[in-house]
Parts: sequence; C-alpha cells; structure tokens
Amino acid sequence: MTLELETIKWIPWLPALAAVVGGVCCMRKSMRNLAAPACILSILAGFIITLGVQSKVTVDSPRVFKAFTWIHIENFAVDFSFYVDPLTIIMLTVITGVGTLVAWYASGYMKGDRGYARFFAAVSLFIFAMTILVMADNLFLLYLGWEGVGLCSYLLIGFYYNKPAAVAAAKKAFIVNRIGDLFFALGIFLTYSHFHTVSLAEVLRSAGDLNTNLHAGGQGVFDLGAAPSVVVIPFLLMLGAFGKSAQLPLYMWLPDAMEGPTPVSALIHAATMVTAGVYLIARLLPLFALSPYALPIVAAVGGATALFAATIALCQCDIKRIFAYSTISQLGYMFMGVGAVSTAGPTVSATGAIYHLFTHAFFKALLFLTAGSVMHSLAGQLDLRKMSGLSKKMPITSVLMLIGCLALAGFPFTSGFFSKDLILADVVEMGRSNSPFATLYSVLGIVGVATAFLTAFYTFRLWFRVFTGPEQYEMGSDGHGHEEEGHDAGKAGHEQAHAPKSGETASAAIAVEHHHEPHEVSFVLMNLPLIFLAIGALGAGLWESKFGWIHHGIETSSAFLGYIPKTASDAGEAHDIHFTMQLISGSIAIVGIALAAWFHWLNRPAGERVARAFSGLVKVLNNKYYVDELNDALIVRPLRTLADVLFVFDSLIIDGIVQLVGFLPRALGMSLRPSQQGELQGYGLGMAFGAAFVLIVVLWSLNLVAMH
Amino acid sequence: MDQPLDNLPLAHFLLTGAVIFVLGVIGFLTRRNLIIIFLCTEMMFQGVAISLVAFSRFHMNMTGQTFVIFVLTIAAAEAALALGLVVLLFRRKRTLDAQAWAELSG
Amino acid sequence: MNSNTLIPAMILAPFAGALVVALSRESHARAVAAFWALFTFAISLLLAWRFDWHQGGETQFPLSVEWVAAFGLNFSFGIDSISLWLILLTTFLQTLVVFATFASVTQRAKEFYFWLLILQSAMLGTFVATDAVFFYICFEFTLVPLYFLIGIFGSAQRTAAARVFFLYTFTGSMITFAGVLYVAWFNSQPEMAGLYAGAGEWSFDMQTLYLAAHHLTAAQQTWILVAMLAGFAVKLPLFPFHTWQPLTYAEAPTAGTVLLAGVMAKLGSYGMLRLAIPLAPAAALHYAPVIATLAVIGILYTALICWAQKDLKKLVAYSSISHLGFVVLGLFALNTIGVGGSVFYMVSHGLSTGALFLCIGMLHERFQTREMSQMSGLAKVMPVWAFFMVFFSLASVGLPGLNGFVGEFLTLLGAFTAEKVLGPVYAGIAGIGMILAAIYILHMVGKVVWGPLKLPRLADAPAPAAGEPAPKVADLGFREIAVLAPLAVACLALGLAPTPMLRSLEPAVDRLIAPMQEVAAADVSSPAHTTLTQARAAAQAAAPAGNVASETAQ
Repeated sequence: MTLELETIKWIPWLPALAAVVGGVCCMRKSMRNLAAPACILSILAGFIITLGVQSKVTVDSPRVFKAFTWIHIENFAVDFSFYVDPLTIIMLTVITGVGTLVAWYASGYMKGDRGYARFFAAVSLFIFAMTILVMADNLFLLYLGWEGVGLCSYLLIGFYYNKPAAVAAAKKAFIVNRIGDLFFALGIFLTYSHFHTVSLAEVLRSAGDLNTNLHAGGQGVFDLGAAPSVVVIPFLLMLGAFGKSAQLPLYMWLPDAMEGPTPVSALIHAATMVTAGVYLIARLLPLFALSPYALPIVAAVGGATALFAATIALCQCDIKRIFAYSTISQLGYMFMGVGAVSTAGPTVSATGAIYHLFTHAFFKALLFLTAGSVMHSLAGQLDLRKMSGLSKKMPITSVLMLIGCLALAGFPFTSGFFSKDLILADVVEMGRSNSPFATLYSVLGIVGVATAFLTAFYTFRLWFRVFTGPEQYEMGSDGHGHEEEGHDAGKAGHEQAHAPKSGETASAAIAVEHHHEPHEVSFVLMNLPLIFLAIGALGAGLWESKFGWIHHGIETSSAFLGYIPKTASDAGEAHDIHFTMQLISGSIAIVGIALAAWFHWLNRPAGERVARAFSGLVKVLNNKYYVDELNDALIVRPLRTLADVLFVFDSLIIDGIVQLVGFLPRALGMSLRPSQQGELQGYGLGMAFGAAFVLIVVLWSLNLVAMH
Repeated sequence: MDQPLDNLPLAHFLLTGAVIFVLGVIGFLTRRNLIIIFLCTEMMFQGVAISLVAFSRFHMNMTGQTFVIFVLTIAAAEAALALGLVVLLFRRKRTLDAQAWAELSG
Repeated sequence: MNSNTLIPAMILAPFAGALVVALSRESHARAVAAFWALFTFAISLLLAWRFDWHQGGETQFPLSVEWVAAFGLNFSFGIDSISLWLILLTTFLQTLVVFATFASVTQRAKEFYFWLLILQSAMLGTFVATDAVFFYICFEFTLVPLYFLIGIFGSAQRTAAARVFFLYTFTGSMITFAGVLYVAWFNSQPEMAGLYAGAGEWSFDMQTLYLAAHHLTAAQQTWILVAMLAGFAVKLPLFPFHTWQPLTYAEAPTAGTVLLAGVMAKLGSYGMLRLAIPLAPAAALHYAPVIATLAVIGILYTALICWAQKDLKKLVAYSSISHLGFVVLGLFALNTIGVGGSVFYMVSHGLSTGALFLCIGMLHERFQTREMSQMSGLAKVMPVWAFFMVFFSLASVGLPGLNGFVGEFLTLLGAFTAEKVLGPVYAGIAGIGMILAAIYILHMVGKVVWGPLKLPRLADAPAPAAGEPAPKVADLGFREIAVLAPLAVACLALGLAPTPMLRSLEPAVDRLIAPMQEVAAADVSSPAHTTLTQARAAAQAAAPAGNVASETAQ
C-alpha cells in the first residue's frame, strides 16, 4: 500500500484532534470512555500513513510541506511546515507504532481511573507535540514540539496530582528540562544570527557546504577564529539535548518521573520523548560536525552517563526506577553512538544511535509495560524485595518480560544485541582511527563493554528476583497515587462486564475484591499489544540485518556525513571489528546473565553475602551517589534562600530608599510647621510686613527711594 | 468739573487715604474683637477708595470711580456674609476673641 | 459616520457611559456599564475594520481641535497600528472586567463603574493622542479614577496603597512632563525656524518634537531620556522603581489589578516607545545597555522574589514586573524584531497576566483569602478553574504555541541580534528568567492546583469536625467561563498565528526606530555633543557636519 507523500502532513493533526475530543470527554462522565478509542485510532492512523508513505520518501527526499506561516516579522520568518526525510520516517514509525501499542495497553491499564479521559487527552497531545518535533522543518517549530512534549510529560508525571511526590517530580522534570531548553533556545538564536535562517533544510545545506570546504581543505580541526559563533552552536544545542534525554548533568528528573502512570513511563520516558535529544543531534549532525570538539564531547558525556546510570541501577529496588536508570544508561549508549561520528571517518553516519533508538523503543516499552502488569497485579507493589517467584501466577507476563530483558541485556540475536553492537563497533573503530580523539574513543569502547556487562547483570537480577525462587509476595497499598476510584490489575478485564457507569464505590469494591492475589492481566487489552512489542524486541535486529531499512534510510538522510567513500579494505576491517565486537558483547551479556542467575536465582544467599561484603558501595549506589541531596544542598536551597533574602531586601532596602526619598519633603514640612501659629493676626502681621517689604523693593528698584 | 482738583493738590487726598488705610491696618493687627477686626478691614477699603476717587478726579476719567462702586458693592455683600460668619463663630465658642480660633496652628 | 470622528467617539463613549451610570439606579449600574463597555469595544472594532492595515505606520484618522493656539496646544488624535492594538486590548479587557466584577462588587456599584468607565476614557486617550500635552493629560488622569478604585474598593491596606501609588507615579511623571516642555521650548526657539516643518514656534505635536529631537546635543538628550524614564519606568515599573507595584496590585480590587497590569503598565512602555526613545534617539542608543541591564536585573530579581511569595496575587504581581523586563529589553534592542516583539508582548502580557489576576480574583471571591498555604489541590473540586489557571500559567511561562512564547522569544532574539546595541550576553542572562519563571509558576501551580485537597476555612464558617466531608465549593459558573474563555482563545490565537499582528506592527515600529538605526549605522559610540544630524551627516559622508549644529547650538 502506498499513499501520496502529501498525506504525511496529517499525522500531527489527527492526535491534536483526538486531544480536543479527549478534552471534551473530560467534561462529561458518560463520554469518558470515548477518549481512549479516539486517541488510539488517531495514533494508529498516523502509523498507517507513515508506513504508506515510507516507500516514497527514500526516492525524492527531503521534502518540505508548509501548513501555514507561524511567526513572520521583518526578515525573520518561521513556518509551520514539515521536513520529511527517511530519518523522519524512522522516528515516526517508532512514535506512532509504539504509541499505538502503549495507548492500547493503557486503555486497559487505566480503566476505571477518575482521570481516564484526561489521561488520553494528554497522551494525544503528547503524540501531537512529538510528531511536530520530529517533523519540524525549522528549529523554532522543533522547539515548539520540544517544549510541548515537556508540557505533556509534566502533565502526565503529575497525573496522580493528589500525591505530593508526583507533583514534585513533575515540577522537577519541567524545570530541569527548561534549563536545557534555555541553552537550546540560545543555540537557535545563534543559528539564526549566523545563518540568517532557522530552516533545517537551509541550515543543513549551509553546514554541509562548510563541511565540504573543511574536508576539501584537508583540515581535521576547524579554524576556530574564522567563525567562532558557528562552533558554539553545537554546544548550546547539545545542552538542550542533554536535558531532554536525561544525560549528565541534567539526568536527575527521569528517575523521579516514574511517579507517572506506567504507560506514560513506557511511552514518554523510555521510547519516545527522551530520545528527542538523540534525534536532535542526529538531525543536525552536519552542524555538530563543524566543531571539532562537539561530537567527541557528546560521546564522552554519553559514555559517562551510560556507566554512571548502570551502576546506580545495580542496587535499586524499585522496578520502575531500575528501568529508568537503565533508560538513562541506554540513552548514554545512543549519545556515544551519535558522538562516534566524524567527517574524517571511519564512521560517517549516526546509524548506530538511531538503530539503538529504534530497538530500544520496543524492548524498553515492553519492559515498562510488563512491569506495569506486575505492579497492577500486586496492587501497586514495586519493591523487588517484596516479590518472588511470580512466574506461575503470571506466566505470560514472565515470558514477555524475559524477552524484554534478553533484548536489553544484548543476548545474541535479539534486537538489542545488534544495535548495541553497532554502537560499540563504531566507537572502537573511532578508537583505532587517526582521529585526534582516538584515545577517548578507545576508553569509551571499554566503558561500553563494561556497561553492557552491568546491564545484563542488573536486568536479570530484576527478572530472577521477580519471577524465580520461592513464591512469595506482599501486596501494595495500590498507593501509586490512585485515588478512591483507583484501579488494579484484575479489574481491567472484569470491569468490562460491569456496567461502565459503575460508580466510585462500586469500582472501589471491585478493587478490594481482587486484591487477594496476583494473577495474569487481561489478554486482549493488555497482553496482546505486549506480544507485538515482544515480536519487535526479538525480531527487529534480525529483520534489520536482512533488509537494512534503517541503514539505508539514515544514509539518505541528514544524519549522514558521507564524505569519505569507504575503500574495500576499510570495509573489510570494519567487518572484522564488527564480528569481534559481536563476539565480545554477546559473551559479556551471557556472563552477566549467568552471574545474575547465580546470585539471584540459584544461590541467593551468596548474592546477599557479596552485597554485605561491599555494603559501603551498595549504600552509595542505593542512594544514587547522593546526587539528589547534593543538588538540593548546593543549588536548590541556596537559590531559595537567595529568593527569601531578596524578598526581604526588596521590602526593606529598595522600598526603604523610596520611603526615605518620600520622607525628605515631609521632614522639611515638619521643620517649618512651628512657624504656623494659627492666629489670625499673626498671619495679618506677616502679610503687612510682606507687603511693606515688596513695596520697598519695588520703589527702590524704581529708584524712587534713596537707600542712603 | 472743568479743572481736576480745583485747589487742593493730589497728595492731600492720597495722604488722607493712606492715613485711613494705616489706621485700619493697625486696628486689624492689634484689636482682639472679631467685629472690630472686621470693621478695620472696612476702613482699609475706604482708605483705598478715597485714593481711587482722587485719582479718578485727577485723571478726569471714570475708571477709579467705577472701581470704587465695585468695592462698595462687594464690601456691602461681604459685610453681610462676614457678620453672619462672626455670629456663627460666636455661637460656637461664646466669645468674640480672635485668638480663640487658632486651630490651624502647625 | 465619518471615520475621523470615530476616535473622539471612542474616547467619549465610556465618559458618557460614566455619566449615565452616575444618573442611573444603583441596581442598574452594572448593566449600564456593561452596555457602554461593549459599545466602546464595538467602536474600537469598527475602528480596526476601517483601519488601513497596509499603511500601519501612518497616523490614521487624524483629527485636531485647537485648544490654546498661543502655545500650539491641540487636542489631536490619530492612530497607527501600535496604538490600535493597544486600544483593542484596552476595550477587550475592559469589557471582560466589567462582566467579571458582576458578582464581586455589591456595594457602591455606581461609584465603582463610574470610575471604571472614566479610567477607560483616560487610557484610550493616552493611546490615541498625537499631541504630547494631551498625551500627558490623559496619562496623568488615569491616576484619579484608579486612586478612588483602589482607595474605596481595595483590600485591607487600600488607603496606603492608593496613596503610595498616586504619589510615586505622579512624582515620576511630573519629571517626564518637564522633559516634554524642554523639548517643546527648544523647538520654539526662533533660531530653529526653517530647519524643519513646525520649527521656531510653540508646538506639542509629537511628529514636530521628534524632528526637534534630532537637533538636541547628546548632553541634552541624556537629560531628556532621564526625565522621560522617570515617569515611564515608574509606571511600567522597571527595576528598581517597582516597589509601589506589588502593594498596589495586591490591594487593588480585581478589576483594578487587571487593568493596572493589563493596560496601565503598558502606558509606561508605550510612553517609552512614543516619547522617550524618539525624543532622545542618540541617548537611547547610547544608554540602551544601561537600561537593558536594569531590565535584565529586574527580570531575574523579581522572578526570584516571586518564588518567596506567600500571597498568590503578589506572586503574579512580581511576575508581572519580571515579564515587563522583557518588554523593556526588546524596546531597547532598538531593532524591528526586538521592538515589534516588545509591542506584541505588551498585548500578550495584558491578556495572560490579566487572565491570571481574574482567576485569582475568582478564587478570592470564594475563599476570601489569597494565602497559598491555605489551599491546595483545588483541581479536584474546581477542575474548570484549574484548567484555566494552568492554561494561563503556561501562557505566562512562555510555552510555545501560546502567546507568551512569541513575545518572549522575539524580544530575546531582538536583543541577541542587536549587535551594536545589546548582544547575546543580554539575551542569555535574561533567558535565565525563563527558567526562574518555570520555577515560580510551577511552584504556585503545584501548591494551589495540584496536591492533596485542602480548602481554606472561611472566616464565617464553623470549623468542620474531623471526618466531616469538605464543604462544597462551586466551580466556575457560566459567566466566569464566558469571561475567561475569550482570553484563552485570544492567547491561543496569538500564539499560533501571531504573524498578522507582527506584520502590521512592522511599519509603525520601523518608522519610530528609523533614526536610531541611522545613528547605529554611523557609529554607536559617537562622541559626546554630537547631534543626530551630525551623525547622519557623518554617515553619509556628505558636507562637513556641524553647520546645522552650529545654528542650533545654545
């Protein structure tokens, strides 16, 4: 099936419409259930359009579609228009594909919640903003999507607004993102003042020309003196990307963001929104390549984040937080991948990063949603220490999560294996090249392998803890912010039988009724979409290695700096490195899994002994290196104190000066006051003397009176 | 009315006016009784009026006399008003002492 | 009807309305006021319809009625696109404000609406005046109705607030008037005759004074700029002349606050644009970094103070100072993007901040308190109110797609790209205000809208016993939604389609800042005692400069 390329411009507007419908549904209780189908169908339609047009894009890309003029003053013109190239299509496939499945799952998961319609309105709005972000033709529109997804993230993290922790987490997410956004905005300004346009097509063309000149000149390092502003742009944009994609130092909002409903964590905080930073750098790769230091720094930050977050994930006990740190770590991988690109070769495209972004979306969404099923089933219980041996109770979920875990750990021939390997191979290749940063990339290669090992270990620590061992569990209090109408695992399926009108008390009763023990979740509403995700998580890598859809797409998009044709020997060497890395990372993954199996399944006491032996380290990791505390003590509190001090300063000093100025004439008046004694004849006397004085002066000045 | 001020020089009239005016001023400044103070202001008026009439005659035009008519009219109106005020003030404090009304002191 | 009489009709309509209100019955006052406010709004729409949008930079519908011929005083009106947008903002907000106060003003309603309509006349007069003295009279006259509105209908500290407000702003604008007089006197000097149209005789026509300003020396311009800013910076308010504002905004009745923040503050920035900058062009250019620095300090300083606020209304009041810092920053970028963005931001700020004050006013009507610590989680009992509150808060933090974003970004971009005047550093530091805005607004929203439900205990209600269900709180009614919804629509429309407005502002802005751009092109660091004419001559490398200046030398 193919569609006209033109149809692609409908993709953002359908979810926008669904968001409006959802908003209307919020108002009436009877319409509440309409919001979910509107949301799912609008995203599904986007998915179908994406698939339908994708064969056309590779032929005559990129194409720009203008919807309307947005901001235009003087020679500054920004349109609401869309830029479509294969990278756009890959991103749209992820967003609408995973989006449809997550929304489908959520229609079961969120059943019976008071804010059912509000949830789907916000998800629709999110899809709108996210598609705008990846389809934007200019940086301003991209910024609209960028802040728009931030808003939806804010609204959805704070979905259970009764819970102070959720409200705080939402606020934190928005503010930390805003810090990145400021730099992003300044980067846009600088782009405008340098290129006199913010249109992606034109900026990319100019940057491409500059790169070609650079390359033709044979200079490995760009002359900083010639155009200082253009080399600063990538650093500003980079900080924006770090904020959105939760990289060091702006990562701390993402673990807290897990306060939101689980489908939100899966869609926004794992599969789509947080990858926007990777997308941004991949999209503007020619611009980033202009600065000799920008991409190596991106890679270094990515590598540091990957290792840092993986170590924290080792010792966390909250399932969703483990996955959150794992997301940060995997995003670090993607940044490493996108940073291991250079105009001087050997890696000239961001294929690895986008490939990993693609596969990660599937398996991480799967992991979050299966975690959601577990949480559902245990009435909100998320603590690893309070559950064990659940595989008999929840067989489908356990298998699905196993698939996700295998893919995340990079088990051979799963999707994660292929994509992670590609990044590692790229980094190692850069390490062996004659790039001035070769040493850095070599170190990053080692970091990557170490992280792969840690990833395999912590992922399977979680899986073995939850699904193997003696069967025991402790029910949660369904306290994950659910209010009186709160929902739980079993209810999802059962409630369909009940009248949808079932009031608050009725559903609360059901909730209590089904809290007894864990059980499998509804198949059609919740497990079926997960099976699709699992197929993606298992098969995406094999499919890609057969068809090369992403490889081919990226090489015809802006994330490709194809200036050096690879020679045959290069390609052969690359293939060797590839194969070696596959061997290394595959075996590392298996070792990690085996170690986890030993400590957390076969011989749990041994695991506990090791943990006790390193109790100091465990404590530090458990407390996430005390970064939140440090952040609070070093930034938040001093700033708040400054605010309080300024408030007092304002009312005492600044207003004091004003009051003083106001007081001066008053003081003058006070000092003259006694001269007014209030007696009629006193004033009369003054008047008489005054008149006499004036008379004398007048006469004297007319020389009528001799003054001698 | 052929000659301005047939025999007497202008200065005589002006001196008379000035004397009456100064007497009025002295009375105004020294007496305590509100009614007397008021009468003194009337006397000051008359002093000025004499000068005006004298000038009018001296210059052989009617301007000064017109002024005087105005002054007299206003003085009459003002007398009615002022005496009314004095009566009111007297009713308030049962005294005509000007120093009893010093509320405006700073 | 002749189009040229539309402007006087528009100014006089609220005035006439005020008289009718004064004569009508107490119970009819609000209906009469609503009619006249709507009528004025209709006239302003008619004005917009007749306006030639392609000639936005020209003064349209000019009309001049002689007043004191000896001093060249005229009642002269005329509007360009900048005035027209601010007029539309005024009449629109006024209409909504009248409807918003239907329930809250129960006593002395006649007086209330009388002063409200008088205020509208004065505000409109300021925006249409093309004569500096007429401008000044209207500018000052706004104080009188506001003095009564605050003093009679305000909260607990209303008398102090009214006094401080009146004295502070009045003192400032007296100095401004002295500056205007100086330029007019300079223009009237006989030796100026023949230099340009209107020179050598008394005139207060703004266009004539603009021409006169080109012959002022740098030192004279500096003093004129200081004099102008004395009034306008206080009115706006610009840091550090802002201390009257939080008290006044907090104590004024909702209607007063909405108009104060929505329109009155714009009188300050409008004055800067209409008088301060064109009457001291070289000085404005030279001292732009100083003023922009004050604006940037103000943005950050007041944003931080917002965070420390406990009173909702004071928080929004301080946030308003912070936002207006962006307006000043854009104005003194002195380029089309910056000034155009700044004018856009004036209108946009009037809508979103006005709406926030209305939301808070609606809360105050229900709870008689504005203490943030007293309430929490109101989304649960007042979802519609919560929606509007969050919506306008987001507009206020500059979320793309809503109006605040366009103004904020254009002013920043203007400052960023004003190479010879400001530059990236100003935009970068001012941009931190965006982060701080997110902090304080989300702090407020998080405390009041989200969180566990907590309602303030009403003063006249008995304390609820433990376990008793919380008292019912009415969500927004139809009238309140009808007041807020048009504002929300306007915010969204300006956020998504700002182009028509920006394009229409462009010629008017260009016309005002053209002299500055000439000087900037010549040399920004022109030595002292250089007149604009000299700079222009230098720029064109024409005949030796100074022949004109020597004639104008004192």
